[in-house]
Amino acid sequence: MSHNQDELFRLVDYSADAAERIGYSNYSYWRSVLQNFLKKKSAVVMAGVFFFLVIFSFIALAISKYDYATLVPESSLAFIEPNSEYWFGTDNLGRDYWCQVWYAAQTSIKLALIVALGECVVGLIIGCLWGYVRVLDRPLTEVYNIINNVPNIIYMTLIALLVGQSFTIMAVAMIAFGWLIMARNVRNLVLMYRDREYNLASRCLGTPVRRVLTKNIFPYLVSVVILRLALSIPGTIALESTLSYLGLGLGLETPSLGVLLRNARNSFLDEPYLLIFPAVIVSLITITFYLVGNAFSDAADPRNHV
Amino acid sequence: MIKYTIKRLLQSLLTVLVVATIVFLLLRMLPNEYYFTEDQVNKLSEEEKNERLRAAGLLDPIGEQLLRYYGGLVRFDFGDSRRIQTGVPVLKVISERFMVSMRLGVSALLIALAIGIPLGILQAMNKDKIPDHIGTAYTVFINAVPPLVSYSLILVFGAHVLGLPSLYSTRRPGISSILPIACLSLASIAHYALWTRRYMVDEMNKDYIRLARIKGMSNRNIMIRHVLKNAFVPLAQYIPASFLLTISGSLLAERFFSTPGMGPLLTDAISRYDLNVVQGCVVIYATLGVIGVFLGDVLMMIFDPRIRLVGKGETR
Amino acid sequence: MKAKRIKMLSLALAATMLLAACGGGGGKTPANNGGNSGSGSNAPSNGGEPIKEIVLWEASGTRELENFFIQNTEQAKDLNVLCNAYAPLLEIDNKGVLQPAVATEWGSEDDGLTWTFKLRDGVTWVDVNGNYKADLTAQDWVTGLEWVLNYHKNAGNNTSMPIAMIAGAGEYYEYTKELEAAEAMALDTTKFLEMVGIESPDKNTLIYHCSKNAPYFDTVATSACLYPLSQALIDELGVDNMVGMSNEQMWYSGPYTITSYIMNNEKVLTKNPAYWDKDASLFDTVTIRMMGDTNLDDQLYETGEVDQCDLEESNLRAIYEDENHEFHDQLVEKRPRKYSYQMHFNFNKLDAQGNPDVNWNTAAANENFRKSIYYGMDLTARWARDNFIYPTHCENLAYTMKGLLYFSDGTDYVDKVIEQLGYPTTNTTDAPRRYDANKAAEYRDKAIEELTAQGVTFPVEMDYYVLARNQAAQDAATVLQNIIESIGDNYIKVNIKTYVASLTKEVTGPQLHSVNNSGWGADYGDPENFLGQELYQDDGAYYSNKYSYINKVDEAEAPELIATYKEFTEMAKAAAAICDDMDARYQAYVDAEVYFLEHALTIPFNYEVVWQLTHVNDYSKMEAMYGCQTYTYKNWETSTEAYTTADYEGFLADFNS
Repeated sequence: MSHNQDELFRLVDYSADAAERIGYSNYSYWRSVLQNFLKKKSAVVMAGVFFFLVIFSFIALAISKYDYATLVPESSLAFIEPNSEYWFGTDNLGRDYWCQVWYAAQTSIKLALIVALGECVVGLIIGCLWGYVRVLDRPLTEVYNIINNVPNIIYMTLIALLVGQSFTIMAVAMIAFGWLIMARNVRNLVLMYRDREYNLASRCLGTPVRRVLTKNIFPYLVSVVILRLALSIPGTIALESTLSYLGLGLGLETPSLGVLLRNARNSFLDEPYLLIFPAVIVSLITITFYLVGNAFSDAADPRNHV
Repeated sequence: MIKYTIKRLLQSLLTVLVVATIVFLLLRMLPNEYYFTEDQVNKLSEEEKNERLRAAGLLDPIGEQLLRYYGGLVRFDFGDSRRIQTGVPVLKVISERFMVSMRLGVSALLIALAIGIPLGILQAMNKDKIPDHIGTAYTVFINAVPPLVSYSLILVFGAHVLGLPSLYSTRRPGISSILPIACLSLASIAHYALWTRRYMVDEMNKDYIRLARIKGMSNRNIMIRHVLKNAFVPLAQYIPASFLLTISGSLLAERFFSTPGMGPLLTDAISRYDLNVVQGCVVIYATLGVIGVFLGDVLMMIFDPRIRLVGKGETR
Repeated sequence: MKAKRIKMLSLALAATMLLAACGGGGGKTPANNGGNSGSGSNAPSNGGEPIKEIVLWEASGTRELENFFIQNTEQAKDLNVLCNAYAPLLEIDNKGVLQPAVATEWGSEDDGLTWTFKLRDGVTWVDVNGNYKADLTAQDWVTGLEWVLNYHKNAGNNTSMPIAMIAGAGEYYEYTKELEAAEAMALDTTKFLEMVGIESPDKNTLIYHCSKNAPYFDTVATSACLYPLSQALIDELGVDNMVGMSNEQMWYSGPYTITSYIMNNEKVLTKNPAYWDKDASLFDTVTIRMMGDTNLDDQLYETGEVDQCDLEESNLRAIYEDENHEFHDQLVEKRPRKYSYQMHFNFNKLDAQGNPDVNWNTAAANENFRKSIYYGMDLTARWARDNFIYPTHCENLAYTMKGLLYFSDGTDYVDKVIEQLGYPTTNTTDAPRRYDANKAAEYRDKAIEELTAQGVTFPVEMDYYVLARNQAAQDAATVLQNIIESIGDNYIKVNIKTYVASLTKEVTGPQLHSVNNSGWGADYGDPENFLGQELYQDDGAYYSNKYSYINKVDEAEAPELIATYKEFTEMAKAAAAICDDMDARYQAYVDAEVYFLEHALTIPFNYEVVWQLTHVNDYSKMEAMYGCQTYTYKNWETSTEAYTTADYEGFLADFNS
């Protein structure tokens, strides 16, 4: 008996639903990540501290006795140590330090998060292309070498001189030169997993590149990306304070913790509170983020899910 | 191998050339006004300014300037400094300073390696025990506190409590280097401890280690013969570059302790529009960076015979 | 002071010196009496021992030496060091009076047209180790001036005063500019002597011919443009290697040789054994430590590593308020720096796009508007930024710097200005003399009325720029903002903006500022050097061309303002024409200055008077209001015991008596 070939086999269009149905198991990547993360109690506490800090910076400004926008210098009130009227004391011009510190904390957190996210997005996209698309490997490697070999301070100085100083400029500049490490990490991982057998198989079965990247490779990247994210935040804050020290930092309208730290250096021997408050907040932000990031990165590693 | 090395070196040369060109062009984007000092901008007439710019060759077509620049590069001539040390060749300006930076940097790096790697090993061997937590706390703390603050604290502590000199002095280079070296090494120690621990922990989870354990090898033996050796490979890659780049100095630490090194040179030169010095510095940094990567690969190959350089990309 | 009297005086001084030398003691600088009476030993008056090896400091970011060639640099950071390495014609004493140096006598007999300097023998050039190289003769001043005026040799540095004053200098400069570089570099002084008004008939005589009557020309002899240069050194190094010479290659004729130079770290000046002035009291060594971080000096002073420190605000407060502090009794006030700070208006402000800021320009052209600021600023809080203990010590009411010029009866020029403005010459209260809230309100209301009619919207926006990394300047600006905005509700709004590196390039060049505070220090001893900067339509007027942009204002749009400027310019030019009677000249300048200020064309702002801890008696230092000699470490009175507040009050009282 001869059967018509067409009856035995027919070509099926690729359907994501159907593919999912075949490979279905009870496993959900993100749920596992969350479960693993929640197991680490210290990290959960730290995450709580971080969110509390962010929320509190808003509350702090709301309950402050003084409004940042209407602070007025009054020399007779200079250098008052913390008391019930001035919770964080006053600065050298006699302005309330509490609202300055929290206002600056908001600026710094905002900058750090925006830069971290920006680096992440840019780094991830470029890193994936760099690792996955063979044609792009050479040119992107060259671009990387070139940008990486010119000291960042040159870019930063030129930008400050030619473009100006503002929050947006600063954020864009930091992202523009910060994506490199992320992209390289991502690229190395992509290279590593690109040609694993299961991906070869996947590709042979006609899975689109997008899907291979997002479903097969991405989970392996999450861990590294998050670790990088966690390290980028202290990096951003440290770079910002260094740039402020050099006069290349944010403009006057946007005081950041870096600026406060720089100013406090002049007087912290006599008035240590001027340094301690911003330094503690900076350290809190960076430590919490670092620990949370580490734990989350562990939790996000699929190898730890089994 | 030789063929590969030559190819690599040629590629590196190209990279350096491209970097030099880009910096050259970037610097030409600054307005010509920056060529003059504050006083000169005010006092000189437009005509006089143009004359001086022309005399300095800055009004020539950019291509011509670039060719002249390449011509100098070939002869290792970066021109004369204009504002950092008026009329002195750039190479001399740099050579007077890099030894200081390098001495501080290499000392700090050696200290960091000598303390950081053992600390990382200790942490890895006692994973999730007290030594690990102490080490982690240290690395986290160092990473968390901005250098501006930690340097200030070291400065005050060193000068007031220990009575150490707070300014670098060429007359007493030993004792006055203590604080800058302390500042530089604190962060590097954390860095090496962190990565040593991480690579070792990664390695310890691998199957062959489990096998070795099952075989009944002693923990100590496993650590030294397998884990450490393999964990050191990725770490080794960056060590040559770190050594070479100590030449560039640390901007913040050197400014803090007024060290006559390379650290603040680059920013000073940019802000004073001393283009020749900027270009000289950048070319030297780029060259060292590229050589560092190459040496790193060689070092890795020595530690891990499986790695063959031939056919590999430059970045890893 | 008439020119002839100068000559007489200098002869008398020379005679005294001769006597002093024979007597083996006594003051070598006769006018010196500010606690500097002892010679040689220079024993401190507070019981300590004189310091032999003094250690001072500077900020490395902005104050590091870049150039060892004194004729080639115009920057204070270079000159402050190099003035110790070269011997000038004349020196300045601690009262700001010219004293003989290499020139033993000098003067002019034709109202400042020809100036003759008689030079002493026995002055030599030495190398860095103090070994004899050559004699210093009148010829070296000819060589020095040729170098300055040769375009290809010196690229125009230090040319402005010689070109303005010396006959033929401008022509020679233009002549060399036309030459090929190699040709100009090879020039000797033959052509130069033909063209330029300078001659040295013998090795002890130097004659300058001025292009116009310059009764103040001798004060220029303290400036870098009239310093000596040895042809033998040029021959030794080669003409092409002069710019870029090092401290080890250069020749010295001054009190010190620069024996060590480590950039951004330390300089060591060592006493020159061959220095001509054997009676001068010099340090064995002067060490200048460079600090990357300027607030380290307080710490270094505490640990005894430097002999002087400026006090940071918080530290000053802490010491001042704590009676038991070890330094409490040692707080001393520095003498004012030589700059007279003014708030300059920009009459032709542009916005970031380069279009005129009509609102501001219209307001600034209105005299009532300017006067409301002139009278309405209570600057006490602003002065307290520098000097919170005695803010009014920073009060400045005039345009010219005080202590620069004196009438023949000894009256300070600036006191005369203050008197004519109607204020007491000394401030016995702690309130500012000019501030008058009622007057200010009156002018403000008139200004609002007139300006509203002209379509100006209130509040008027005033852009004020400060250096981004300079926190002290930002704090001062914040205080100033508060002061100006409190002149009236919804009247002026001050926007504090920042620039990254260069005020001229980023702000005043593109005309973005509304007002700018700037201090002027004298180049030479004449009111012309101050008021001449504000002339209307004059190429040499620095502030008119670079800050106020008055020359770019359309006369039709601001007729009153231009008329005021023209009147002032006429008065100042008339004053400049008086050369035979210095009192009459100064009085005419006083009138012009008073006119200028009464119309509030600029607003006198402050002097810089700060506090310090020190082992140096500042009243024994050279008080160089002009020229480059402020930092000459010669005849300083120092003490191993720190000076106390009481010591310094005594010095000041002696000084003023």
